[in-house]
Amino acid sequence: MRIVTHTCPTCGTVVAGNVLETERLLRCPGLDCTAVLSFEDLSPEDRESVLEHATSYR
Amino acid sequence: MKGVILSGGTGSRLRPITHTGPKQLVPVANKPVIQYAIEDLREAGITEIAVVLGTTGREAVQAFLGDGTEFGVDITYVVQGAPLGLAHAVGCTRDFVGDDDFVVYLGDNMLDQPLGPVVEAFEAGEYAAGVMLREVDNPGQFGVATLDEFGDVVRIVEKPDVPETNLVVIGTYLFSPAVFDAIERVEPSERGELEITDAFQHLIDDGRPIASYRAEGWWKDTGKPGDILEANRLVLEDAEGELAGTVEDGAEAVGHVDLHETATIESGAVVRGPVSIAAGTTIGGRSYVGPYTSIGPDSEVRQAHVENTILVGETTITADETIVDSLIGAGTTIDSAEDLRPRGYRLVIGENSDLRL
Repeated sequence: MRIVTHTCPTCGTVVAGNVLETERLLRCPGLDCTAVLSFEDLSPEDRESVLEHATSYR
Repeated sequence: MKGVILSGGTGSRLRPITHTGPKQLVPVANKPVIQYAIEDLREAGITEIAVVLGTTGREAVQAFLGDGTEFGVDITYVVQGAPLGLAHAVGCTRDFVGDDDFVVYLGDNMLDQPLGPVVEAFEAGEYAAGVMLREVDNPGQFGVATLDEFGDVVRIVEKPDVPETNLVVIGTYLFSPAVFDAIERVEPSERGELEITDAFQHLIDDGRPIASYRAEGWWKDTGKPGDILEANRLVLEDAEGELAGTVEDGAEAVGHVDLHETATIESGAVVRGPVSIAAGTTIGGRSYVGPYTSIGPDSEVRQAHVENTILVGETTITADETIVDSLIGAGTTIDSAEDLRPRGYRLVIGENSDLRL
């Protein structure tokens, strides 16, 4: 199963695609980082992969 | 070589201690378990470390470790979210790892062995992965490895009914980036997780040998209270702290006692090591603190007899009672009920507590 992640461009914290899919929009969980991360930050291919495996992720 | 520390999991076996914090921050000899992993990696020369966080206690782990500077390492956080298995956790670190080899360390495991020689051996070889193995009497409770005549791993079976060997995989793995392609081929198991043993099997099926290294010292998975106490005992036996605090006249401190410079053993108290007493703690007169006890910061023990026990911290014990083999969470008060009527225990106990009265 392909594991999708997204790296915060501000602080480098890595967030799993399943977290972005669940939260849709979240403040970066990195230390003192104020960046906002979104499921839409993922490429269409990655979003599709995460959604395809959403059942597995849950 | 980079490091990856897996710090997820719910800590359900350590409740109620983990109701208020992650299991990786439970102290052993007054040091959170995860700090031992950080230090083991650093001593092996690995300073670029990813810490993979789950949903429980994520912020507490980040608050403790910070960016790693305090521990001499550079930490990148990887937020895994739901606990989807070790292979998923490792898979989430692909961008962090890049083209490097890396060591995976389970953040609630403790290993009494330098990692340096194992890391060097792995880097000198052409292996796609490596595991550390230990002989145990109860292999069926672990991942059991079968080796070929060269010592390479040919099979790992998780908790088999009939173990082929008594060699079990402990919580430290070594990987080349080849593991990420293997992880992509792992499908969720019956329990809905991506199992790391399946990733190993894909590598083996691909004809990629997996190295094995014997763990020589002790190893503890600190997932249960008894394991935490056992780890505490093992660490205290080899502890190097010093009697830096105040020992009043009339107090007795014998054996190895690691006493923080701001801690006090008052007149009339007896402390017999190995014992660790953290900052701001007072051992009052008429109390006895016996071997294999760790008392966390800002605690107070008066009149009580405490032995083979961990007090996490900010705890006050003034009851004239004997407390042994116990793990006592932060902010606990154990006072005397001697003058109270009707006679009996008065308890305010959290969910999943375990009492023996």
